[in-house]
Amino acid sequence: MRTQGWRSLTLYILTGLFILGMGVFAFRLGTQGASWAMQPYNRHLKTEGGTTQGGGEAVWAGTIVDRDGTVLVESDDGERHYNEDSSVREATVHTVGDLNGSISTGIQLQYRAQLLGYNALTGVSGVTNNTEGSTIALTIDSDLCETALQGLGSYKGAVMLMNYKTGEILCKVSTPTFDPENIPSDIETNDAYKGAYYDRTLSVTYAPGSTFKIFTSASAIEHLTDWGTRTYSCMGKEIINGNTITCMSQHGELDIREGLAVSCNIYFADLAIDLGAGNMTETCNEMGFNRSWDLDGIPVQASHLDLNGATDDQIGWAGIGQYTTEVTPYHMMLTMNAIANGSSAVTPHIIQSITDANGSVSQPDESRITLLTSDTAAQLNDLLRNDVVSDYGDGNFPSGMQVCGKTGTAEVGGGKEDTAWFVGYCQNPDTPYAFVAVVEEGGFGRSVAMPIIVSLLQQLA
Amino acid sequence: MWTLDGWDQFLTFLAGTEDILLLVLRILVPLLSLLVIVQCFRSVRRSRRKAAPVVMLQDITTDKKIPVLYWENSIGRSKSCDITVPDGTMSRDHAVLMRREAGWEVIDTGSKSGTRVNGVKIKGSHMVLPGDRLTFGSTTLMLIRAEGADSRTSTDPFRRIPSPAGLLALVVLIHLFLAVEACCGTDPWRPEAFLLFGLLALVDIFFYLFCTHVFGHISFEVETVGLLLSGIGLFLQTSMSFDVVITQLVALVGGICLFTLMIWFMGNLDRVNRWRKYIAAAGVLLLCATLVLGTSINGAKNWIYIGKFSIQPGEFVKIAFIFGGAATLDRLQTRRNLTEFIIFGIACGACFVLMHDMGSAAIFFITFLLIAFMRSGSLRTVFLATALVALGLFMFLQLKPYAADRFSIWGHVWDDVNGLGYQQSRTLTYIASGGLFGVGLGRGYLVNMPEGNSDLVFGMLCEEQGLLLSFIVLLAIVLFIFYARSDVTRSRSTFYSITACAAAGLLLFQTALNVLGPTDILPLTGVTLPWISAGGSSMMAVWGLLAFIKASDERTYAARRKSA
Repeated sequence: MRTQGWRSLTLYILTGLFILGMGVFAFRLGTQGASWAMQPYNRHLKTEGGTTQGGGEAVWAGTIVDRDGTVLVESDDGERHYNEDSSVREATVHTVGDLNGSISTGIQLQYRAQLLGYNALTGVSGVTNNTEGSTIALTIDSDLCETALQGLGSYKGAVMLMNYKTGEILCKVSTPTFDPENIPSDIETNDAYKGAYYDRTLSVTYAPGSTFKIFTSASAIEHLTDWGTRTYSCMGKEIINGNTITCMSQHGELDIREGLAVSCNIYFADLAIDLGAGNMTETCNEMGFNRSWDLDGIPVQASHLDLNGATDDQIGWAGIGQYTTEVTPYHMMLTMNAIANGSSAVTPHIIQSITDANGSVSQPDESRITLLTSDTAAQLNDLLRNDVVSDYGDGNFPSGMQVCGKTGTAEVGGGKEDTAWFVGYCQNPDTPYAFVAVVEEGGFGRSVAMPIIVSLLQQLA
Repeated sequence: MWTLDGWDQFLTFLAGTEDILLLVLRILVPLLSLLVIVQCFRSVRRSRRKAAPVVMLQDITTDKKIPVLYWENSIGRSKSCDITVPDGTMSRDHAVLMRREAGWEVIDTGSKSGTRVNGVKIKGSHMVLPGDRLTFGSTTLMLIRAEGADSRTSTDPFRRIPSPAGLLALVVLIHLFLAVEACCGTDPWRPEAFLLFGLLALVDIFFYLFCTHVFGHISFEVETVGLLLSGIGLFLQTSMSFDVVITQLVALVGGICLFTLMIWFMGNLDRVNRWRKYIAAAGVLLLCATLVLGTSINGAKNWIYIGKFSIQPGEFVKIAFIFGGAATLDRLQTRRNLTEFIIFGIACGACFVLMHDMGSAAIFFITFLLIAFMRSGSLRTVFLATALVALGLFMFLQLKPYAADRFSIWGHVWDDVNGLGYQQSRTLTYIASGGLFGVGLGRGYLVNMPEGNSDLVFGMLCEEQGLLLSFIVLLAIVLFIFYARSDVTRSRSTFYSITACAAAGLLLFQTALNVLGPTDILPLTGVTLPWISAGGSSMMAVWGLLAFIKASDERTYAARRKSA
């Protein structure tokens, strides 16, 4: 009988395979359960209008509103409706998300379970069997988003503005955009819509150009004792390792304060080379490079800096935001937020509150992210404020806001126009706004990106 | 006036708490079920005999003592024998020493030199008493009692066995909770649920009293789990209709009768050996009759209508198949080739393919592999059979392209939710909708799907009763594998070992098809979930299969032996 005993071990193979199969099932249920439940034929999801269960063909989910209660998307009569104004739809579609889930960072996809009233523990039935989805209030202001969309015009790019005291993102727009109620039939083929499903504020990285000089300055403040008095002389161009770094004009001898205000390439290239790859990398990693973020659980692309094995000329280029350096608009705004707050950024939020069917409200937790020392933040604040006072002109901004900022004009190569940047914040605690504007193939940051921010600040004034 | 208001308020309060109460029950039922299942399993493990020999064989020339550990022991010079004697004059598998009701017997299994008892050459089986000398080749062994025999009755006070009556009481309580759920879950209430509970409780208690007092059984673990699962299935079917439930209840009683009958029948192995061939032949005939007389439902011609009643003979043939495949050790040693069993298997398999019942065909195939391997240990047979079936399946799919549809949609159900992926997508959606504790009995929608309460019943169980209870039901079925496995070398014969393993394997594989098919992890085949799915034939057959597992527990026939 002993042999039968051994042979019966084959039963464990069968058992093992079954348990494996159940494991796969459980894993899929955990990861895909929300999408399994959110099917139009699911009769547990009742229609908005109906009081009884059995909604039939309803696509049912909770409402998404902006900070003023303006409805951005809701379900009615078994259909999902966006805001009736097409420019509001276009300005907010990347934040709200489309119905097909093509925009992977959209709230409708990321917060599908909450909108449905689904969670893995209770399925679609709450404790008392009412299958109501939650209402999600966003921090964005749809009017402000419309203004930003107008400002971007036909350019591709991203605009984001937040309150750095509360963490609320007030404006978040990405172009090219589209109307989710009337999705263009050529959205996949037309070059004008290329990348329309990407939210450029979170998912796309850009060469930072001169805006990166903020990080180079930070590294100098942290690593060079003579940073405040150190001077370089600019002859319009400089040849390093046979590679020419050019500047907009011949600035002559200047210090960091003047260098940042006139955005001298030679100054910051030389500064970066003197700092070296180690110091640059250390400061940038502390300030959030090569690190992925999430915005209320929505994944944000990491900014990229890699000076491993870089030669002097490459370090020089990196110091002025070229070489392989890439930054997400979100990260740039987070950095402004940190400087404005004097070392720690208030964690940005896009969700203001989630109100479930039982009326219980949940809000994101407040937290802070430390990106730099308070001394560095204070010195950078001084430099950035000087940029506006001495160069961009306080008169270009609404009065009293005490704007600090930096423009950027990044070369992208391939015969394309430069990427235009403007990043900054208002020093005045009564108007605590941090912002970023990126315009692809826009040209000069000062002439293309800055006016968009100005129009937003005017609206907020 | 305020009294009326107060009454209204009280009613509103009740209506408000009703859902909470039902949720509490949906949490309690799985937890109590888990307790019952775990305690039953522990009870089986704890009351197992220790591996101590009851008798010994003593070599009369060397005085070396050889322990006899099993109820059936092969003796020979082969290393694979239970009792290995390094004697060149012995055959590899020389004889079998086995314990039957009357006492120890020895039987020669076609050895070259023959077997002698007290110097007399034996033909067929021969009784052996302590002190008798058995001669195999040039070796002579004497049967002697082991010192401190029957040590297995010594009970360890720390290994307390859970009370079977207590566990059964818990099952009745679970059934009561399920009745409350079934009654109050819908609007209007369905008090019929309590009638069902009354009848089910009677079945529970009568079955228990019958087994313990009439049969004198000392164990009731397997039956307790069977009753628990049957109750979960019956109350789930209340969501369909009470007509279905009545059929199920009648089938449950029928199944319990079949269980009892089979336990009695298998009590005598000589009787089993005499009838085995006829049972197998009856199984094949029944399948052939289905092919000729059967009615096609949902593309599978596996129903026979007798007046108002319909049965699925294929379910009962599972029992016949296992009967036909297993054998006692002496027969395994003398009739080594599997030809008869292979022909039997092919006949059954062919019938199911002709009926277009691919699920049953797959179940028979896996059962065939299990039995064939348990009998022969031949991996070659297993590989050959698998290759042949794979070839057959390939050719079948070439000839019948419509059958390929269910393979083509496998893994892609979301691409065609209203076509080929209809059943799977609904199952997944409603499983996800149920969550951990379900939406409640009578509140599901999957039940309205075709085959929702049979082939897709796992989805229905998840939707209405929740994932937790569903997984506990599956755990109970998986644990039958461990029951069967733990009894393999302790059972009274390889016949019991093989049947129990085959039955447990069959139940698990059928469960796997039912659970993993509609959830798109395996291709969808229409098979029932044991104890849970609607279907009278299935319910009865499942209890019949359970009898195999019960019979392999050596305690099953212990009390009777004592009284005899």
